[in-house]
Amino acid sequence: MEQESGGSMVQVGCNVESNPDSLDRVGKVRKLLFRRMLIGIKDGRFFLGSFYCMDKQGNIILQDAVEYRSTRRSSPSPMEQRCLGLILIPNSCRVSCHVDSTIDEQLALLSV
Amino acid sequence: MADKEAEERTVGAHAPQMASPIPSGEHTVWADVSPLLEAACGDLQDGELIHGENFNLFSAMSALEIMDPKMDSGMICKYYSVDEAIENGAAPIPLSFDGTVDVQCTIDIMDHLLSCEATWHKGHSLAQTVFSCIYLLRPDRTSSHALLHSYCSVIRATCKAVIAVVSDARTHEEEDLFIMAYGLPLSGDGDEKCLSMLNAVEETICRQLRACKSSLPKTAEPFQSNFDLEEDYCRALLCRLRFRKHFYHVLTCMRRPQGRGLELARKHIASCLLELDLIRNSSTFLSNNSFGMNKDGLEDMTTASGRQPLGFDSSLNCRLSAPTPPRAIKLLSWKKAVDYFVKLLHDLDNICSYSLDPLLEGVFRFVVQFQKTQPDLVARSLLQFLLVQDGKLYGRDPLYAVITKAAGLPESAKNHENQKNQYIVQLGQLVINLLKVLCTNSAWQRRKLGKILQDWRVIYMQMEMAFKRDFSEILSISNGENAWMKIFQHILIWVEEQTYWISTRFLVLGFELELYSPSQYCMVYWYLSVVLIKLVEKIHLRALMSNETGKRKGKKKGASSKDIGKDFRIPPAVSFLQCQICLAEGLLMMLAALRNEHIIVQSPSPFNSEYERFFQHFELLQKACIPDNITFDSYEQSTRLARISNLVTYNCFKDAQKIAKEVKSSFSNDPEKLAELRRIELVAEHNSVALNLIHKVGALDPSLKISFEFNHHPYFGTALVKRS
Repeated sequence: MEQESGGSMVQVGCNVESNPDSLDRVGKVRKLLFRRMLIGIKDGRFFLGSFYCMDKQGNIILQDAVEYRSTRRSSPSPMEQRCLGLILIPNSCRVSCHVDSTIDEQLALLSV
Repeated sequence: MADKEAEERTVGAHAPQMASPIPSGEHTVWADVSPLLEAACGDLQDGELIHGENFNLFSAMSALEIMDPKMDSGMICKYYSVDEAIENGAAPIPLSFDGTVDVQCTIDIMDHLLSCEATWHKGHSLAQTVFSCIYLLRPDRTSSHALLHSYCSVIRATCKAVIAVVSDARTHEEEDLFIMAYGLPLSGDGDEKCLSMLNAVEETICRQLRACKSSLPKTAEPFQSNFDLEEDYCRALLCRLRFRKHFYHVLTCMRRPQGRGLELARKHIASCLLELDLIRNSSTFLSNNSFGMNKDGLEDMTTASGRQPLGFDSSLNCRLSAPTPPRAIKLLSWKKAVDYFVKLLHDLDNICSYSLDPLLEGVFRFVVQFQKTQPDLVARSLLQFLLVQDGKLYGRDPLYAVITKAAGLPESAKNHENQKNQYIVQLGQLVINLLKVLCTNSAWQRRKLGKILQDWRVIYMQMEMAFKRDFSEILSISNGENAWMKIFQHILIWVEEQTYWISTRFLVLGFELELYSPSQYCMVYWYLSVVLIKLVEKIHLRALMSNETGKRKGKKKGASSKDIGKDFRIPPAVSFLQCQICLAEGLLMMLAALRNEHIIVQSPSPFNSEYERFFQHFELLQKACIPDNITFDSYEQSTRLARISNLVTYNCFKDAQKIAKEVKSSFSNDPEKLAELRRIELVAEHNSVALNLIHKVGALDPSLKISFEFNHHPYFGTALVKRS
């Protein structure tokens, strides 16, 4: 399943780039509000929380966020987690961003 | 930049895999939305946000910013976890295969831990100080290294004991970081046997030391590789181990119920101080044998040798100190840490030498005196533990007995059935609360004192009402021979007396905390004198009543009581306070006169009027009606007419001096009170001279500068007259 989604994503990404009609991208992001969002950052941690806000600079605020960190540099390794609440993740340290969605929804969301 | 991008790309490519340990929902996948977000950002206007209906900018501002070193305690610095740090050799065991280096490093760890411990006591989190030591975090790992193992386990046990004292005493309200030990291995397996482990190691080193000194051929294997250094290293280790042992004993002894371990604790305190001296002296040897160290920065170092210790990383535990933001902690230097422990031990010795005075007045005096040395949290907690145990004074005297004794009632009142009276029970609670408050730090104490004044006032009024209700009939019939009524009356006056005592303490603490500006001294001394007068009134009244009761009792029993035939005279405690009143009055009139005659020019504050400042300073007293019918107007009226010329003819300072001189003989065996009287005399004398000087030249010389200093007394200022 992971592989499948990874594959489709590359494809979808290309679609978004090349599609000149995708004008309501802001509206699509707005539809993602309050969905479960998983953000990875530079130092290797992940944050899982509900999508609360994003500004023009790409800084994201998550609500009820949980921090996940591996216990070793070499992955995979057991994860530690702790609750953080409301957090702001600056665009500069974000390296990945995923939303929890069904495969159909994923396609609908990302391709226009 | 290119590197960074490459890195990001690789991470991005791995992201779905790396995210896999975090499950998505059922029948759902993690869909990458980064490109969409990026595109949407481009479409957004400047300052535009994507947010839902419940969005609130204000609360969004309080979001924790990830990767901000001041907010994000989870930032991964060097290692991902303690285990990873250990795997990377951050805390090797043995510390070195070279015996000498191993011993050196162990001593460095011991010293650094002492700095950490002192820093913790001074108010930083345990996780980022003592438990920045990786060896402490994995109790089982050290077991092969007897020396380090025993030291680590006694440190853990000590921390646990200290936390227990402080959290039981609840003296830490303002310093609540102190007891947070969540997620830390405070009790390793076998830490309860830390003392026997410590003794065993100590014994081994002692044997080694004896072997060094004897000229016999060496049978034992040297402790480390360099024979010439063996003796000194043994000594350096011994004093460190022994200090820990005695310090742990001090804590356990002082926690025995009803102060039973105090005497033994004093012996251990003395030993601790002795060992600390040896530890301090060992630094010459240790720093001389640390190679490649520059000796300039030694003052700031956290070890005696001046080396950086092995096996510490404060960032590993940062997360455990939540909910506090990550703080950059500056550890105390090793020298300062030793000084801290010396001070702590002296404070503890002070507590242990206390005689467990059964008289509440004595207890209050002791605590106030003790606080003058500005003891730190641990010492204050231990004092409070001693004072209040199981809801009794020293865990020994029931509060009702303490109160009746304090109120000057005869022994017989102690067992009166009315001790279950709801007001008496409440009053007992208030006394316990007061004792606890007196053990907190000055700032917190003042705040709390101001608040509990209300409680004391309320209970007084309730008791007064109950008194009128219950005894109005008896009063009219039996001419007041009811025993319970007598007790009640005594206690009522005593409650008022305590309320005024608390008020004075509240006002005086303001000086200690430097809360008053010179332009406000006048109103503070005015209020202080008003409260002191009330206090004296109540003490006097109670003394009179006790005298009366005593006499009657004496007559009844027909015994040759000392009280009979002895005329009532002013109690020395009253005269003592009168000195202070005279001084306060003198100061307030002097300040008022200087203001009225424009010798001290007060520019009006741009922020608030004098009335507002009066209210700000004395709000809590005013709210509790302490004393009744005292307002800003009464202050204005009493100071409006003050003139220097009047003050010279009627000189309060002279009165203070006179009374102080007279009352001195009554306190010949109380050095503390004598010292206070001497200070009062000094202030009075200086101010008297200053007053005359101002009177003579003040009107002629407009360049006269007058300021007040607290060089003779902590809260009675001395006037300084200068020509500019």
